[in-house]
Amino acid sequence: MATVTYQGASRIYPGTEKPAVDKLDLEIQDGEFLVLVGPSGCGKSTSLRMLAGLEDVDEGSILIDDKDVSNLPPKARDIAMVFQNYALYPHMTVYENMAFALKLRKTPKSEIDARVKEAAELLQLEDYLKRKPKALSGGQRQRVAMGRAIVRQPQVFLMDEPLSNLDAKLRVQTRSQIASLQKRLGVTTVYVTHDQVEAMTMGHRVAVMLDGLLQQCDTPRALYETPKNVFVAGFMGSPAMNIKTVPLTAEGAKFGDVTIPLTREQVEAAGVGDAKTVTVGIRPEHCKLGEHGIPIEVELVEELGSDAFVYGHAQLGNENGAERFVVRAGSGLLPQLGETVFVQPEVGKEHVFHAETGDRI
Amino acid sequence: MQTDTRAPEKGTATTGTRKQPKSGGVLNVFSHGFLALWAIMIIVPLAWVVMTAFKSDDEIFTDPLGLPSQWHWENFTRAWEKAGIGDYFLNTVLVVGGGVALTMLLGSMAAYVLARYEFRLNKFFYLMFVAGMMFPVFLALVPLYFIVDNLGLLGTHFGLILVYTAYSLPFTVFFLAAFFKTLPHGVAEAAMIDGAGHYRLFFQVMMPMARSGLVSVAIFNIIGQWNQFLLPQVLMPGEGNNLLADGIASVAVSQRYDPDFSGLMASMVIAMIPAFVAYVIFQRQIQAGLTAGAIK
Repeated sequence: MATVTYQGASRIYPGTEKPAVDKLDLEIQDGEFLVLVGPSGCGKSTSLRMLAGLEDVDEGSILIDDKDVSNLPPKARDIAMVFQNYALYPHMTVYENMAFALKLRKTPKSEIDARVKEAAELLQLEDYLKRKPKALSGGQRQRVAMGRAIVRQPQVFLMDEPLSNLDAKLRVQTRSQIASLQKRLGVTTVYVTHDQVEAMTMGHRVAVMLDGLLQQCDTPRALYETPKNVFVAGFMGSPAMNIKTVPLTAEGAKFGDVTIPLTREQVEAAGVGDAKTVTVGIRPEHCKLGEHGIPIEVELVEELGSDAFVYGHAQLGNENGAERFVVRAGSGLLPQLGETVFVQPEVGKEHVFHAETGDRI
Repeated sequence: MQTDTRAPEKGTATTGTRKQPKSGGVLNVFSHGFLALWAIMIIVPLAWVVMTAFKSDDEIFTDPLGLPSQWHWENFTRAWEKAGIGDYFLNTVLVVGGGVALTMLLGSMAAYVLARYEFRLNKFFYLMFVAGMMFPVFLALVPLYFIVDNLGLLGTHFGLILVYTAYSLPFTVFFLAAFFKTLPHGVAEAAMIDGAGHYRLFFQVMMPMARSGLVSVAIFNIIGQWNQFLLPQVLMPGEGNNLLADGIASVAVSQRYDPDFSGLMASMVIAMIPAFVAYVIFQRQIQAGLTAGAIK
């Protein structure tokens, strides 16, 4: 059990100028499940590998339980890691794979045996202990990789996209298993993924990264309800939020003939720096189809059973011409392709950002 | 009309599908024919040597191509004891055993470091090893003689082991470095997180993973060092401590005064057996090692 603290930690790969991770400040509580999420190349894996000791910390430091580990080798950090491709030892059986770390630490044989058996029971691997990894399915290998981390009883679990090699159904199933396992063991966990659904469903808190910079770190609900900037707003939620930059008036944001009212403070903040436009985000699920509102020409209807999503183009009266717009429709009567429907955004559910800085207003 | 036009279409379609395996078959026949020819070229002289080893000296000249009328096993005991092949054999086992063991240990360690660690001059050292493969051993013979002599190791097994090792290292490092590069990095990282230091990582994780590559190179080295002739000829002067190849050569030289052709052939059969056995046992690994890089 431990806390993890990144203090202005940076990683600059040799031969590059732009840091892969740029002055990351992050505090992870004892027993917390923190998810690092972002598009590929955003520095999330590098951040994790810095914590693991597989990448150098070029600036700043990383603390585990108030102890600076920035210059310690991986084995001195008391961490366990689950890799994307599992990285099992191919020449060892499942049992030996799980026991390897304990053997290196000269743990008594009886204790190794007890711990491995316990982990195997927890992960339903008892029948496979004598098999080699190549004789296991993808899901079983994934569980062995988890087991190898669990038997260590480390201070921190690190997981680098451990589900991305599983098929969709197994991924959803394993997702909940990992989350409940973490809750049960209460070990501080840092989990990297590019999948925002995984991030939302698993993490106590989610840290969103882009281009090596931490954008926002908060609970999943807070990220969803009050994204700090345009990137976070667009990244979290599926389908993605409709984010449009439209003309700013004294009353609000003009979506063609429809004006979304903004408060006076919002209008003032949006106008800082002589901005004539404002960026407004509207989630597909915070819209209604009605008699009047923003007109949209329907291009695609995605029927999911419980829900349906209507994709179309809207004329918003800015220089971009027709812009794509997604709306969630109830399961009732759905519009036809080519039809024009009218969208009414729910009042108070819109997200307003400064058109140039992209920051939330 | 319609049926008329359809029928030939069908006909051409079936002949077309029949033709395809046939054209592959032609290629197969050709390549297999070539392989068969090659096999005959290798096997016939070998078989002749083995058969001749069982004949009496008279029979070799009266019926050179026939099967031996009587199996003269005593040719082998005579070669082993009188011609000194037994001593040569043990000398060779000692030197090749030591040479291959040392080559594999040093070669795999050097290859691993060159393949997996980044440091200054990494490329330089690697290229030095590779350049060693191009260097003809004949050019090195004279200086090598003086170096070994200066070290006081001339005519000793240990001296020859060192020379064999140096001689085999370039190819070993070249081959194994390429092999170690193909091994997944994740596994090494997992071992480091699990608490393995550099030595343990190498000996307990990376070396077992590279097993097929190691076995292949070991076989190449065993056969290569077993067949050495020139190096022991130069570096093992004097009587009695000859190795097999030059030992047999000296047996052949003495033929002019005291012919014992059946004994000579028996000596050659004895010399061939270990390499042959190594091939048979490790056939699978040799193939696995040669194709390992291609599959991953």
